[in-house]
Amino acid sequence: MHVGDAGNPGRLRSEIKALVVSELNLKGRDPETIEDDSALFGAGAGSLGLDSLDALQLAMAIEENFGVRIPEGDEARAIFKSVRAIADHVAKVRSG
Amino acid sequence: MWITGLGLVTPLGIGVEQTWAALVRGDRAIGPIRLFDAAGQRVSIAGEVGGIPWPSDLPGHAAAWSRTSVMAEAAAKEAMHTARIDAHDARVGLVIGGTTGGMLETEQFLAQLLVEPASRDALAAMLSHPLTATGDCLEGTLGPFARVRTLSSACSSGANAIVVAASWLLTGEVDAVVAGGSDGLCRLTLSGFNALSALDPSPCRPFDRRRRGTSLGEGAGFLVLERAERASARGARPIAALAGWAVGSEAHHITNPAPDGGLVASLITRAIARAGLTAGDIDYVNAHGTGTPLNDAMEAVALARALGSERTRVAVSSSKGQIGHTLGAAGAIEAAITTLVVSRHTLVPTAGLDEPDPALDLAHVPHVGREVPRVRAALTNAFGFGGMDTVLVIAEPDLGRSETAVRQRPVLEDRSVVVTGVAVFGPCGRLGVEECAALPGNRFALDAPVDPDAHLDLAKARRLDRAARLGAVAVDHLLAQSGVPTVDCGLLLGSAFANVDASAAFMHRVFEKGARAASPAEFPNLVPSASVGHVSIYTGLHGPAFATADLEASGESAFVQAAQLVQAAEAPRVIAGAVEPRSGMVQRVLSTLFERVPSLAGATRADVAAATLVEAEGEARARGARVLARIEQVLEWRGDGGPALASLRGPRSARAQVVLPRASEEADRLLASTSWRASERVLCAPVLGESDALGAVAIAVGAARIGVAAVDDVLVLGLAKGRGFAIVLASA
Repeated sequence: MHVGDAGNPGRLRSEIKALVVSELNLKGRDPETIEDDSALFGAGAGSLGLDSLDALQLAMAIEENFGVRIPEGDEARAIFKSVRAIADHVAKVRSG
Repeated sequence: MWITGLGLVTPLGIGVEQTWAALVRGDRAIGPIRLFDAAGQRVSIAGEVGGIPWPSDLPGHAAAWSRTSVMAEAAAKEAMHTARIDAHDARVGLVIGGTTGGMLETEQFLAQLLVEPASRDALAAMLSHPLTATGDCLEGTLGPFARVRTLSSACSSGANAIVVAASWLLTGEVDAVVAGGSDGLCRLTLSGFNALSALDPSPCRPFDRRRRGTSLGEGAGFLVLERAERASARGARPIAALAGWAVGSEAHHITNPAPDGGLVASLITRAIARAGLTAGDIDYVNAHGTGTPLNDAMEAVALARALGSERTRVAVSSSKGQIGHTLGAAGAIEAAITTLVVSRHTLVPTAGLDEPDPALDLAHVPHVGREVPRVRAALTNAFGFGGMDTVLVIAEPDLGRSETAVRQRPVLEDRSVVVTGVAVFGPCGRLGVEECAALPGNRFALDAPVDPDAHLDLAKARRLDRAARLGAVAVDHLLAQSGVPTVDCGLLLGSAFANVDASAAFMHRVFEKGARAASPAEFPNLVPSASVGHVSIYTGLHGPAFATADLEASGESAFVQAAQLVQAAEAPRVIAGAVEPRSGMVQRVLSTLFERVPSLAGATRADVAAATLVEAEGEARARGARVLARIEQVLEWRGDGGPALASLRGPRSARAQVVLPRASEEADRLLASTSWRASERVLCAPVLGESDALGAVAIAVGAARIGVAAVDDVLVLGLAKGRGFAIVLASA
């Protein structure tokens, strides 16, 4: 059984934010302060500053919690662009 | 420094000759795993050793021998045989690097505990294959060794074993050293490297544009090292010479190398300079060459930076396309291969290199080996998780400058090594010099919560597990108090069982949910050197770094090894300590095995980390450091401590104390024969609770008490099953 509600994009994004904070051990960070569209990876301004090891952990956690496998390589890069992009991918796979 | 013996067990064959012939032919030994069920793993190929020669007369329990130990025994024995040395006839040391120890065997007990949580047999066997077990096994069949050291720096462990051997020979305390590494395949490493997406579905293709990761391998490699004068005096012939070496930490990231290759380039330059050579003398590089996109790119950049215009001339290959990445053994196996390349002036190839990556400008040796007129000197690189990197230079023995250069290296004239800082963290809170000195008189609530997070920058520490957090608090506090430069400061932390609870939890997930549930973030924390890597990254230490393992005397072995590295001028200063998080598994095992011994079964175990700054006296005085104590004498032994303690120095004054990690009949018996028998004794366990890190606490307390002039002389006696350390500290 998987958590999450594909029919409620806002709630799905909140769940993903909570997952980012707990899986990547961002202690003290309020998940709701992560913007839907801000960059998760890289060193740019406003980015969460995550790296490739975080991406692997997040992919594992998303598969475990939402039953959705994140592909490897360039496709993953696009999906991990933002919380919104991850949520869209999860919703798409689950509705398809 | 001569290399007079070699031994190899690899997926290509048992013994040096089988492996060598297959290497030169370009054979590849990477195929489907048969050793265990690898179903459900993303990648399930590896380099497996076939036909492992189980010693016919295993001493003690056959069950004490892991696959890792059996491979180590075969390779070490071959190395000693080719060198024609016998541990009975000379002072021979043994240094073993590794990462997995008996994990393959331990995994079976973990699986059994999932089904039968109270299984006495499984619990009893759970802790029977710690990293130190291999050294204990070899002590029994190939010893007696004058010294035994077990270390881990992840995938550079085998190379660092050779560096430790060299430092022992430089200070002249042993005649010969058998040094190497051994690592057996196991489900844990396969699951972990798969979780990191670090494995190529095809046999790995280092430097190829299509490379997608490494392939795991297993095996053992050992070298016998001797000073040239002594070896030639006994009529030994050199295979090649260990001419130079350099060790350092990137302090960058727990799994990824720093892309600019800055540290590696500087290590290559330093190692070549130490050999008294220039880049123009280097004819070959046996690269770390894992086949991961990041490693090979970084290594090519580093080689280009260090070799300059010579880089297009120097042949480069990686053996990992043939034998896979043998992890803790790789540095030693590849040092042995490099020795053969120099000795037989034949280059070994990079298998699988069909399409060289145009971004990596290297002079490759694709597919098959080839003979060349001469290989004057060669490099071998070894890089470990956490950025613990080592470069060795192996040269023709008569290359001239190398032996002289090594001999002229300024081993500290007066050999004076001092302690310039201490820190302890545990149920007592975070202690510096004054508080450590007062520790024995204090009483703390042993069950008080130990909260490292209160002292850490949580954003910076987010990847640190509990052990690393405890260590980071102690080391950070030590650095803050002592104001020591971090750029050349090393870090050695001892741990008895490393992260046994986390390893158990990781494997439970794999057993219950399948290999895809293996956590990529958790896996790097399971290597025995994880705390060292994390703490060096957190605190920015760039000197030599590795973990030592000696059961509950692991803190003592880290301290003694740190003093030996400083004495051999490997680093001006090294932080030595121990970290042991409270372990539910250790508690469970002890309460099961010792249910009739309440003092062991019921002892309150504590989260403890302790660290001590060990420094060359000249360096300490030059920076105006507060010198707490001088290291007067260090003794270490295997078996009975009686003979070694016969040479123990006595206290110089009546103001002397013996600081013991814990009370024991063995300590009483050994002390009774020394001139410290009447000195006051101070115990750490009653104050802090039981922990395998108490030896490091005892050393910190002893140095601090001298530093605040509470006493003039201290003896720390650290004992564990079959081994011991005596450390004499005195006012400077």
